[in-house]
Amino acid sequence: MKLGIISFAHGHAYSYAKIIKKQKGLELAGIYDDDAARGLGAARHFKTTFYRHLPQLLQSTIDAVIVTSENAKHAEHVIAAARAKKSILCEKPIATTLKDAKEMIFCCEENNVSLKIAFPVRYNTPVKRARAIVKSGGLGRILAVKGTNRGTNPGGWFLKKELSGGGAAMDHTVHVVDLLRWFMGAEIKGVYAEIGNLLINEAIDDSGIVTMDFDNGAFATLDFSWSRNNNYPTWGDVTLEIIGTGGTLSVNAFDQKLELYSDTDGISWNFWGDDMNTAMLLDFTNAIKKGQKPAITGHDGLKALEAALCAYESAERGVPVTPRIFQIDWVK
Amino acid sequence: MLRVLVVGAGTMGGVHARAYKSLHGVELAGIVDPRVEKAEALAVNSSAKVFSGFDEAAAKLKNLDVIDICLPTHLHKEYVLKSVQLTKNIICEKPLARSLEEAREMIEVCGKKSVRLFVAHVVRFFPEYKRIRSLLDKGKIGSPAVVRTTRGGAFPKAWENWYGDPSKSGGLILDLLLHDFDFLRSCFGEVKRVFAKTLKREEASKEMIDYALVTLRFQSGVIAHLEGTWAHQNFSYGIEIAGRDGIIEYDSKKISPLSYQPRNKKSGAGGVKVPESPLASSPYREELKHFIECIISGKEPLVTVLDAYRAMEIAMAAIISTENGLPVTLGGHSEKGG
Ligand SMILES: NC(=O)c1ccc[n+]([C@@H]2O[C@H](COP(=O)([O-])OP(=O)(O)OC[C@H]3O[C@@H](n4cnc5c(N)ncnc54)[C@H](O)[C@@H]3O)[C@@H](O)[C@H]2O)c1
Repeated sequence: MKLGIISFAHGHAYSYAKIIKKQKGLELAGIYDDDAARGLGAARHFKTTFYRHLPQLLQSTIDAVIVTSENAKHAEHVIAAARAKKSILCEKPIATTLKDAKEMIFCCEENNVSLKIAFPVRYNTPVKRARAIVKSGGLGRILAVKGTNRGTNPGGWFLKKELSGGGAAMDHTVHVVDLLRWFMGAEIKGVYAEIGNLLINEAIDDSGIVTMDFDNGAFATLDFSWSRNNNYPTWGDVTLEIIGTGGTLSVNAFDQKLELYSDTDGISWNFWGDDMNTAMLLDFTNAIKKGQKPAITGHDGLKALEAALCAYESAERGVPVTPRIFQIDWVK
Repeated sequence: MLRVLVVGAGTMGGVHARAYKSLHGVELAGIVDPRVEKAEALAVNSSAKVFSGFDEAAAKLKNLDVIDICLPTHLHKEYVLKSVQLTKNIICEKPLARSLEEAREMIEVCGKKSVRLFVAHVVRFFPEYKRIRSLLDKGKIGSPAVVRTTRGGAFPKAWENWYGDPSKSGGLILDLLLHDFDFLRSCFGEVKRVFAKTLKREEASKEMIDYALVTLRFQSGVIAHLEGTWAHQNFSYGIEIAGRDGIIEYDSKKISPLSYQPRNKKSGAGGVKVPESPLASSPYREELKHFIECIISGKEPLVTVLDAYRAMEIAMAAIISTENGLPVTLGGHSEKGG
């Protein structure tokens, strides 16, 4: 299967490219990037073709694309790929506005193209095991969840709102919201957030806590702060503490680690668990081969984005807000 | 010798009585508990007299310097007001009272009678928390930004299950999270806004568990997230403070200076593992020692009755938030306000 990558703006493009190069049966057939220098560099590094114009990549013989452009450009790139009938794996968040997200979903539906959103944590083995326990009734009914998805200031375009759609809340709300929906099969009915610009000098949100009410009666909080400093042993985390009527479960997606004390590299945590990105990418390509619906849909991406947008609205207005998507008749 | 009467011989009464027995310059004069056997067990190796009721102790014991109230929270006010007639110094377990009205009345009456009231916010005396404050003061992590705390374990077992009745204990938020409200306020100043979620009452009492997640916004901008749990198995607590230039992390589960596991020779199975974090003087003993020193010297304690009241205000705001689903803004009082 031939894959193209649209833009190396997001660092994950490099991870995906590396995985594709390693997998038998997958080929990195071309790269497009609106930053030609960056795209050429990546093409040289991964020994593939660089296309100066997106239509050139989309007219080539590729089967699917990975969209790893700046968040605000996802819509343009996904819509172009959908019109060219290419299957799509789109980096999270799906987009920066609900309008863009809906247009992307429509366009993929119209062109009968599969759109998958990159929520790799669904492929993290301890997280999968945790969900299996929940789904088998091991916790009884879920009452509450305490989540974290903390990280490090990613810098660059992530700090430019017109490109990223927002700071830490936009960057780090969507993963755990997606997990919560996936674990509970429930939807958010209320969002409250405290958001701060407390850690970095740039004027963009870098810290905060969001509290969510779900329609199954459970509540959850999430710390989405870019609060891991340079000397912290790792860049970030995904953790869930789940309280059920039948017990409690705590899962830490990246706890399968060694502690490394190096005179050259300092102190760090060295992860040895299964690679979730590989699992996600293979599930994407296998589903295409088998003509199956993607495991994580555009709708999942939209619901996660909606929570992040609600968090911003709540922090601005100082009250809990209700997602309104179901009140708008947007599904044709 | 300061003569102390301990009222209530349950969990905290036991901790306090044992501490008094080991403190110099303190005489454990009496212990009150209708469950006399409990009081008697605490009186061993001391000259303490045991009473089944407060009034009997009041009638028989003379020259009491300190009365220490270790009763269930809903009884604090009644017994503090009784004690005012008998002594010039009262030590009361936290929370000061079940409601802010009760707390105000207690503070007012003590003020009028010139009785000093000390509230046992023991977390301030835990060495790890003291160290956190000094690291913050030294600017080791720069200006603080996001704080996370956790505290709890199994649902507390106590006299007539009074913890299970929120009208007596105030529930998890007043009883347990109060510790963190007080400590965080001592580090980061006044709280501006509180948002909180907790289990539905029916759910909590049916399962005999409780759980709460609280977000605080401080006037300084600091954001804090607190977890309080009576839904887990083993007691633990932790705090993490992320600042502009660093992180302080503490998790009692990861601190294991000593772990004792005897081999059960008969059954072949391993014995129960008992972790310990021994200190020459426990935080509870340090706390009472400090209060005694303040009583002797007349100095202000490290944690004042106003601090105890302010911590309760945060707890009450959190409880209101869980009830109405809205953020609750705290009145912008000055440092000395009442
Ligand atoms: N600082 C801390 O870490 C900490 C920890 C636990 C409890 N507390 C606080 O300490 C207080 C006591 O809690 P506890 O866990 O020890 O409760 P407990 O139920 O273990 O003890 C209460 C005792 O009071 C006795 N009692 C009841 N009515 C009485 C009366 N009228 N006169 C005399 N004795 C009476 C009961 O028989 C019981 O022995 C509460 O306010 C609680 O919130 C503080």
